[in-house]
Amino acid sequence: MAIRIKINGREHEFEVGRDITPTMTLSYLLREKLGYTGLKVACDEGACGACTVLMDGKAVLSCMQLAVQAQGHEIVTIEGLAKDDPLIRAFAQQCEAGYGTALQCGFCTPGFVMAAKGLLAENPQPSLPEVKEGLSGNICRCGCYAGIAQAVLRASKESAPEGGRP
Amino acid sequence: MKTPYKPRVPRKFIGAYRPRIDAWEKAGGKVEFADDITLQSRFPGLLYAKVLRSPHAHARIKSLDASKAEKLPGVHAVLTYKDPEIAALKPTSAGWTDGVDTVSYEQMMWRHFRDRRVLGDHACWATDEVGAVVAAESEAIAEEALKLIAVDWEVLPFVLDPLEAMKPGAPVIHPEISPNNILPKDAVGGADVFVDKGDADKGFAQADVIVEGTSIHHNATQASLDNWCCLVDWKQDKLTVLSNSYEADQSRMHISQMLDLPIHKVRVISSYVGGQFGRGDTGDQPFFLFTAWLSKRTGRPVKFRHSRRESFHDSRQPAIYLGKVGAKKDGTITAMYFKSIGNSGAYADHTMFALKFAPTEITEVALAHIPNVRMESYGVYTNKLPACMMRGVGNSQFNLIFGHVVDMLAEKLKMDPIDLALKNFGHEWGSRPDQSLSEVLRSGAERIGWSQKRHAPGAGPAYDRVKKRGVGFSFHPAWHAEWQEARRGEIRIRITVNTDCTVLLDAPTVETGTGSNTCNVLGCAEALSFLGIGPEDILLPHKVDTETSLKDCVQTDSAVAYLQSEVIARAALEVKARILEKAAAHLKVDAGDLDIAEGRVFVAAAPDTGLAVKELLRLCVSLPIVVELGRPPNAEKTGVPYIANFAEVEVDTSTGAVQVLKLVVINDCGTVMFASGAESQQIGGQVMGVGEALTEE
Repeated sequence: MAIRIKINGREHEFEVGRDITPTMTLSYLLREKLGYTGLKVACDEGACGACTVLMDGKAVLSCMQLAVQAQGHEIVTIEGLAKDDPLIRAFAQQCEAGYGTALQCGFCTPGFVMAAKGLLAENPQPSLPEVKEGLSGNICRCGCYAGIAQAVLRASKESAPEGGRP
Repeated sequence: MKTPYKPRVPRKFIGAYRPRIDAWEKAGGKVEFADDITLQSRFPGLLYAKVLRSPHAHARIKSLDASKAEKLPGVHAVLTYKDPEIAALKPTSAGWTDGVDTVSYEQMMWRHFRDRRVLGDHACWATDEVGAVVAAESEAIAEEALKLIAVDWEVLPFVLDPLEAMKPGAPVIHPEISPNNILPKDAVGGADVFVDKGDADKGFAQADVIVEGTSIHHNATQASLDNWCCLVDWKQDKLTVLSNSYEADQSRMHISQMLDLPIHKVRVISSYVGGQFGRGDTGDQPFFLFTAWLSKRTGRPVKFRHSRRESFHDSRQPAIYLGKVGAKKDGTITAMYFKSIGNSGAYADHTMFALKFAPTEITEVALAHIPNVRMESYGVYTNKLPACMMRGVGNSQFNLIFGHVVDMLAEKLKMDPIDLALKNFGHEWGSRPDQSLSEVLRSGAERIGWSQKRHAPGAGPAYDRVKKRGVGFSFHPAWHAEWQEARRGEIRIRITVNTDCTVLLDAPTVETGTGSNTCNVLGCAEALSFLGIGPEDILLPHKVDTETSLKDCVQTDSAVAYLQSEVIARAALEVKARILEKAAAHLKVDAGDLDIAEGRVFVAAAPDTGLAVKELLRLCVSLPIVVELGRPPNAEKTGVPYIANFAEVEVDTSTGAVQVLKLVVINDCGTVMFASGAESQQIGGQVMGVGEALTEE
């Protein structure tokens, strides 16, 4: 039996039993088999958000999805984003005084970027409480939450159409 | 913070609000952590190791049969405590993991507490790694194999509470080290009474008032997201390790000595680390060694990594503190006494660092004017999670009781605790009131609204009938000044100026996210700004490789940025001198008559006579200019800056729920090298601290 998954714009076909097993998680497939190491496996039980990817545009925890569940869906990892994606840029450049940077060790960052991607897809102009709620499934142990929220707000403002919510 | 930081001295690059030098790579998920660079697809034939863990809090293996595990398809090797290469390994401890300086087995700290065996037969806490380790083609097969190992356990009585463990008749955990579970006197840790200044009894007799309090600081865990991981490839006589250990040179020493290999036959590569926070500063490092022996046995690269559950192997040293303070009616403190009992857990690790070393330093820099001080401490073995380092070593534990008794004394004397603190505390060569302490307390009080919000305990109004609010503060001397880092020995860096004036900066430290690499690049750009270059012209390799890098300066004590940048600044002067020498020969003038600025070297008296440095280097030097410099930290006593935390909290008296309404952090942090990073360190530290105080146990 073959499983078809579109990953970062490319169609992949996997043979169950040979390429993937019924119990293999999506995060394992993406990291260990395909080398998409941007996503991280830190808790492997849906608690930290480091493995967040997009499935059909929605943020999902890839450690909580079986690889076979991705059959027929479209997956985007951080490697599938444009190099100058507005969110990547906002996370990289955040240095507005008073909020710190949006990352330090950087281990959780791809997960946050992808979770924010999912958030902005649903709500392009979130308020600060909505950003906090939207990213509450992600842990940053370096504690850059203030900078992260600022980066997401900035990215949403920059991509706002004229006359959008400030 | 509404007003951005402004450097006192105008500078080109130092003190800037700007992105980290690795921000783009990290934001785009491009940087590679240990787990990323050790994928099976990169190491054909890679095997995975899993270690047997004790299901009992305290037990001994009577016998073990691994024959079924060995036969499981996909299993390539099982090593047990009976295998000669394992049995021959020396006992070890955390004493060489505080990589302030690279130490040998003989020089390591805590030589009296070498309580860890690599795969021994003695389990000292539930999940202790003992007895056997498996190498298999997948982690799942390795796990399956562990279940097939038949262990005959001798289950021993256990004890979890340090007070119980100190009582006669309690189960003894490491009888060869301590017959009563109390850690013995040690060269570094010192005696049980480790501070005895003046005469505390006399001081208390002279006091008009005496207060006494207790505090209990629980275990908290570093919880780095990047689980510990290593890959060992031992081929012929050469052993290569890839890991997320935060110390490359010390890891090499550890492995070389434990496996009896010459240093040049061991190569350690440390890539980015997903958060350190003290996590690597533990004695739980035998996995490097059994993974190495599995690689030797199988002839293949072997990878070992902690699962999230296994990552809870280490914690902040918990402590029960008793504090007692005596003072005159005017608030002059006559005596202080502190006694702590620390639950060391199953292994001593850096217990004594937290319980004794940190309070000793605080005594020197904050209690210097208190005439009579006694401190005693007992680290006690129990069958619990081992305790070790976490952000701030033993400071949080001590500051909890310290702040508590200062408050109690102020209350009894009807004084403002700020006045009480200023009257009494400061470092040994400073006057009172200490200038730094005054400033952080004054500024913090103003920002939290101390004079409006402060009230006597119980006297404030109620909100929503059941909620009460209060403000409080604690303060701390930042005792890692440069002179306190003198024991690191020499800090070594190398600057290579290419002929196009781009720079390779070799200032190795394992990148754990602290921001020191950005500090160093900004500092280097500032020091070399006469070349007309900026931070973008400087390359600083983030990966540390013991085969190509200088010795790494280890991320402890929040000291790396200033230790390395001091040496960089001096090396830059040498770069300048070398260029002047070349220019003098080229222009046929005395080097003393020349100057360099904005990338141009010229005759100082006739600035039109000269040429661009790039041109000079192209014309006269076919090789890059390389300056390597080592320098020990400056031992001159330069003062101790203070940090103060003020908090306003609301307590729901019907549920006990605590909410932090406002937090003010005032840190006298000296010259800020990288403002955005300094802010991140402050904010991040507070996030972790609030989490530790309010939620984690």
